[in-house]
Amino acid sequence: MTTELLIEQVSKAFPGVQALNNVNLTLTGGTVHALLGENGAGKSTLIKIITGVYRADSGALKANGQEHFFESPIEATRAGIAVVHQERNLIPDFSVEENITLHNPPLKYGIVDRSERTRLAKQALSTIGFDIDPKERVKNLSVAQMQLVEIAKALVTKAQIILLDEPTASITNTETVKLFEIIKLLSSQGTAILFVSHKLEEVYQICDTVTVLRDGESVLESKPLADYKQDEIVDLMVGRHLADRKIRIRDIDRTGQPAMELKDVRTALGHETISMSLYPGEVLGMYGLVGAGRSELARSILGLYAITQGEILLSGKEVKIKNMGDALHRHRIGYVTENRKEEGLFLDFSVGQNISSTILARILDKLGVINRDKEAEIATKFVDRLGIKIVDNHQLAETLSGGNQQKVSVAKWLAAETNILIIDEPTVGVDVRTKAAFHELIMELADEGLSIILISSDLPEVIAISDRIMVMNDYAVVGELENTKDYPSISRSIMALIHSA
Amino acid sequence: MKLTRKITSILSDQRVVLSIITLALFLFFGLKNKAFFSADFVLFPLLRDAATITVVGLAQLCALSIGHLNLAVGRMAAVSAMATGYSYQYLGFSLPLGVLVGLITGALLGALTGWIVVKSQVNAFIVTLAMDFALLGFVTFIYVTFTPAAAFTTKPAGMDFWRNTSLAQYCIAGVCGPKIFPMMIFPMIVALLLVGFMYGKTRLGRELLLTGSNLRAAKLSGIPVDRRVITAHIFSGTLAGLAGVMLGFTNGSFSAAIGSEFMLPSFLGPVLGGTLLTGGSVAVFGTMMGTLLTLVIRQGLSVQGIGLETLNIALGLVLLLALSLGQIQKMFTSIRSRGRT
Repeated sequence: MTTELLIEQVSKAFPGVQALNNVNLTLTGGTVHALLGENGAGKSTLIKIITGVYRADSGALKANGQEHFFESPIEATRAGIAVVHQERNLIPDFSVEENITLHNPPLKYGIVDRSERTRLAKQALSTIGFDIDPKERVKNLSVAQMQLVEIAKALVTKAQIILLDEPTASITNTETVKLFEIIKLLSSQGTAILFVSHKLEEVYQICDTVTVLRDGESVLESKPLADYKQDEIVDLMVGRHLADRKIRIRDIDRTGQPAMELKDVRTALGHETISMSLYPGEVLGMYGLVGAGRSELARSILGLYAITQGEILLSGKEVKIKNMGDALHRHRIGYVTENRKEEGLFLDFSVGQNISSTILARILDKLGVINRDKEAEIATKFVDRLGIKIVDNHQLAETLSGGNQQKVSVAKWLAAETNILIIDEPTVGVDVRTKAAFHELIMELADEGLSIILISSDLPEVIAISDRIMVMNDYAVVGELENTKDYPSISRSIMALIHSA
Repeated sequence: MKLTRKITSILSDQRVVLSIITLALFLFFGLKNKAFFSADFVLFPLLRDAATITVVGLAQLCALSIGHLNLAVGRMAAVSAMATGYSYQYLGFSLPLGVLVGLITGALLGALTGWIVVKSQVNAFIVTLAMDFALLGFVTFIYVTFTPAAAFTTKPAGMDFWRNTSLAQYCIAGVCGPKIFPMMIFPMIVALLLVGFMYGKTRLGRELLLTGSNLRAAKLSGIPVDRRVITAHIFSGTLAGLAGVMLGFTNGSFSAAIGSEFMLPSFLGPVLGGTLLTGGSVAVFGTMMGTLLTLVIRQGLSVQGIGLETLNIALGLVLLLALSLGQIQKMFTSIRSRGRT
C-alpha cells in the first residue's frame, strides 16, 4: 500500500467563482509533495475539501481504501488525515498535552486519564525531537513551537497523511531547519506529506513531487520536482514569464534634515540606546531575527509603549507621540501591522470601510456625517492602485484571500497620506507575483517622497527594496549598512553583524 | 433564479422577517380573541410599554455596539428617574427641566461606568454588574430617607398629558390620529432617529462600531478607543435614564421599582433585531421590531387567558424560534457573500 491519497477531477464552485476545476493530485506515502499556486489559486479550497470542511461539487477522493469525500473534519481525522493550518488551531489556554490529545483524549472510566495523556504527548513530542514540558500552556510558546505542537497533535491521531499549510510563514530560519528535519523523518517513516508554501527555495529543499494550481486548475499534476527549474515553476504559477526584476539603486539625498531621527532612545520594553535616522523618500530596512525587538521599537515610537529616555525628532523637531491617533493625525506617521487579521483589518466590515478607517476625519460633511461618495471614491482609488481583486467595495474583508487582505491593510494607510510609513512584514503569506508587486509599490511610494521603515524577517526582501539596512539583535542596533543590493555580499555582512553581536 | 435571489435577499433582512412574524402574530391573536384589538385596554398600553422598552433596548444596543454589556441599565434608569422625581418634588422643577436632570444623571452614571471599565481594564460585564448592586443600594437608601411612601409622587404640569393622551386627540381637517398610539412613542421616535443617525451616518458611530469589531485594529488605526468606550457607556446611560423617566411618567410616580424589569428585555430587542453581542454591528430599527414582537407575544398570550408559567414557556419557545430564524437567514447571507478562500 503506497498510494495514500488520490484526488480525481475535483471541482468546486462558489457563487461567482469556479474555485477548483477538475483538479488532480496523487499523494504517495514516503514523499513530500509541494502544492503551489498564487493566492486565490484554490490551494486552501482544495485542502478544505480533502479535510471535509467543504463538499466538492464533483470528482472523487480516495484515501486509505476509502472512496468518498469526507463529510466532516472529524471523519477526515479518523481516516488518518491531519492538517497543520496557516491559522493555527490550538487552544492558547490549554497545555501542550491537552492540545495534542484534544481530538481523542485517553479515557479511563469515562474520565480523562491524565498520566496516559502525558505519556502520549511525550511520545509524540519525542518522535519529532521536540523537547518541551507537556504541561506548558500553549500561549507561552513561540509561533514555531506551536507549529511543532500541531505536528505532534497530527502524530497522536496516527495520521498517515499530513497537510502542512504554509508552515514556515512565520518562523525563523533555524526553526525552519528543525521543522524540515522532522518532515524528512516523518517522510522516511512512510507518511505522505503535502507541503504548501510560497517560499520556492524551501520547496526545492524539501519536496519530491509537485502540483501547481492556477486559477483553480491543476496546471502541473504530481510531477517530480527535480524535472523543473524554479523559473519554470514560477511561470506555471503565474501563467506568464515574470520578467526578471531589475535591481534599482535609488539615490537618496541624506544632506538635509531627516524625516525621523531617534537619539539614544530607551523604551519600557528594554530597548538600549537606539539611534537611527530616516531620510525623506528613503526605504530603511530593519532586519533582525524574530524577537530582535523591531516591531516593539516601531510600536514604542508610535506611543503604544513608553519611551523612557532619549528623544524622537521629526523633521528636526523634538516630539512626544502619545498614541496612534496622535501619530496619525498630528505627526503623519502610519503603521501597517504584521498581524493583518488581528490588528490590521475589520473583518466584518467592507473593503471600503476598512480603507476609510484612517481617514474618517477627512471625509466628513456637516454634523460629523461621513460622505459616502468621497468614501467610495477614495476606496476605489486605492483598490485600483493596489489591484485588489474584489467584486465591489461592499465586499467584506473576511471573504478576501490573504494577499488581498494584506493589500487592504496597506491601502488604508496609503489613503491616510502620511509622511512616514512603518511597514511590518508586508509579504508574509503572500504569493510570488503579489510579493513582487508589493516590492515595486514600496519603492514607488518612496519615489513619491514617502519615508518608509520596512521591518522584515525575509532577507531577500530587505535586500531587494531597502536603501539602507539597519540590523537589530536583542533590542539593540548592531549595525547599519548602505545597501548595494548585491545579495551574496550584503547577506554575509548582515549575518556577520548579527553573529558578532 | 433572479426572483428567488431577490426573495432570498429580502428574507435575509432580519427586519423584514421580524415585521412579518409580528404582524402575523398580531392578526392571529386578534382573530382568536377580539379583545386583543381593544385600543384602551391592550394596544395603547402595549405601545406605551413598547416605547419605553425600545429605549431600554437602545441603551443596551449602545453598549453592545462596542462589544460590551450593560447589566446596570435597569438601575441606571432607576437612579435617573429618582433624580427627576426628586427635582419635581423638592426643587419644583418644570417638566422638561426634570427630564433633563434625569438624562444628565444617566449620562454621568454611564460616564463613570465607562471610565471604570477603561481604567480598571475589568470586563464591562463585571463592572456593570457591580454598578447594578451599588446603585440598587443607593436607590433604596434615597427613597427610604426622603419619602414616606417610598416614591416621589409630585406630578409637574403636563405629566398626565404625556401618560394618557393618544394621537386620537390630534386632528387635521377632521382626520384624527389612531387611538392606539400614545404620546410616549415620540420620545422613542426621537431616540430611534438620533441613535440610528449616529450609527448609520456619522464618524462617531462608525468609530464606535469599528472599536466593537476589532479593538486592536481600531487602536492601531488611530481611533481613540478608550474615549469611544466611555462614549458608548455615556449613550447607554443617557438612554437608560430616558427610559427610566418614561416609565416614571407612565406610572405617574417615581419609585425604586422603576427599571427592575429592564435588564432581560433590554437584550431581547437588539438581539432579535440582529445586533451582534460581540460588537461591530447594530440594528436600531430592528430593536424596535424585536421589542414589539416580544410584547405582542406576551400580551397576545395573556389576552388568551394563558397562565403566567405557560406564558413564559411559550414566550421562551417563540423567542428561540425567532432567533433561529435569524441564524437561518445569516446562513443565506453568508452563502451569498462567500467568495473564494
